[in-house]
Amino acid sequence: MRGLAILAPAVALGLFVATVETGSAQGLLDALNEAVEDPTLPVTATFKDTRIVNVQSNETPAEGVLHFVIAHRFGTLNSGAYELWGLDNAQMRMAFDYGITDRLAVGVARNTYQKTYEASIKARLLRQSTGPDAFPFSVTWYSVAMANGLKAPTDVNPYYFSHRLSYVNQAVIARKMNEDLSLALVPSFVHRNYVETTEDAHDLWLVGVGGRYKLTQRFSINGEYHHYLSQQFGDGFSPSLSLGVDIETGGHVFQLHVTNARGMFERSFLAEPVGSWGDGSVYFGFNLSRVFTVKS
Amino acid sequence: MTNFFFPLLALLTVQVSAQQFMTRTGHVHFFSETPMENIEAENAQMSGLLDVTNGGFAFQVQMRAFHFEKALMEEHFNENYVESEKFPKATFQGSIRDWQAGWKDGETHDVVATGSFDFHGVKQDRDIEGKLLWNGKAWEIETRFPVALEDHQIEVPAVVKDNIAPVIDVDVTATLEPR
Repeated sequence: MRGLAILAPAVALGLFVATVETGSAQGLLDALNEAVEDPTLPVTATFKDTRIVNVQSNETPAEGVLHFVIAHRFGTLNSGAYELWGLDNAQMRMAFDYGITDRLAVGVARNTYQKTYEASIKARLLRQSTGPDAFPFSVTWYSVAMANGLKAPTDVNPYYFSHRLSYVNQAVIARKMNEDLSLALVPSFVHRNYVETTEDAHDLWLVGVGGRYKLTQRFSINGEYHHYLSQQFGDGFSPSLSLGVDIETGGHVFQLHVTNARGMFERSFLAEPVGSWGDGSVYFGFNLSRVFTVKS
Repeated sequence: MTNFFFPLLALLTVQVSAQQFMTRTGHVHFFSETPMENIEAENAQMSGLLDVTNGGFAFQVQMRAFHFEKALMEEHFNENYVESEKFPKATFQGSIRDWQAGWKDGETHDVVATGSFDFHGVKQDRDIEGKLLWNGKAWEIETRFPVALEDHQIEVPAVVKDNIAPVIDVDVTATLEPR
């Protein structure tokens, strides 16, 4: 019994030496990999820009970064050669978004369409991450207030400032499936203080889906569709469907697309898309974004 | 039996701690200098392991833990150049040439690490010169070496050719403590 007791540590020592020898000769890197746990890191660049086409993506400008967007939507493609298939008839949107922190951004914008002003706030609530504390998707909140700037209609009396306002709240639930494919689910709630007819609902619920697929490092195809959860929308509107591409060139992202939404603010493209894919009354357009590092 | 076993176990532990030295907080910095733009990034999470029985040496660094001055640079670095999703780490595995136990003398020694440098999925056999110092408690390592982007199949598109140096200087400093 005592003899065995002496033997056991000796055998253990022998085994130990053997392990160390092979360990140091071959797999120092493997030993390192075992000793060091990979850190939890956020997944970045789920989308190239803060928008998929019209709708917000989960991305926000980083802290201290000013994100400037110039966007155009030309006239309908079916308007013929006289209008150069819509190019003569552009609507413009100019927007400034600023990252207060890496997770919180505020923005202002002006649209020529219905002379609409926007003020917005966007917050990354949850971030997709990898590593020991991995999280499978990102959730970004977006709230925007929009003010119609057209002259007061003569047939509405009284017409207060509050008549001009509408609001959208939405959650962008996004996941970078892999290096190339990113998908988003975007439930939206639209409230319009004033609507044109009694047929139109003040409140609308929609659920949108969007995504991008990278064909090359700097080129992707993007799409989005917003489904009305009930027949709450008025005549002449069809659900918003947009298809496009992202082209990245250094500090700029060009987004070129075709959409049935005339305006580039949420009220217009979610609740009131006036065009229709069926008859070709869709709009060619682009978003051009540039970032400026204001504070580093 | 316990009387016999425990001193031996203690001896084993001492042996282990004395032969491998490690860091999780090594510092990597790289610099790209062009007339158009200077780009630099920092990473303070390099891990490394040194085996002082034979000079065996390995390090690894998470690409996504590099931080740049501008957020957009960081995004482009990860997305377009090093493809961090596909190739999350850069590693080096090899040994310090002609390892001598006598280097543990408090002097700085010029050494050469010979091994395989794996970056962007491309392995290159490299001899990397550096300095080694035993500070009484830990091994301090310091090196600067060039990395040619072409050698590691990192493509730089024509429009930004003038903004990114074809050869990047990489600085590494680490203090490896008994494991």
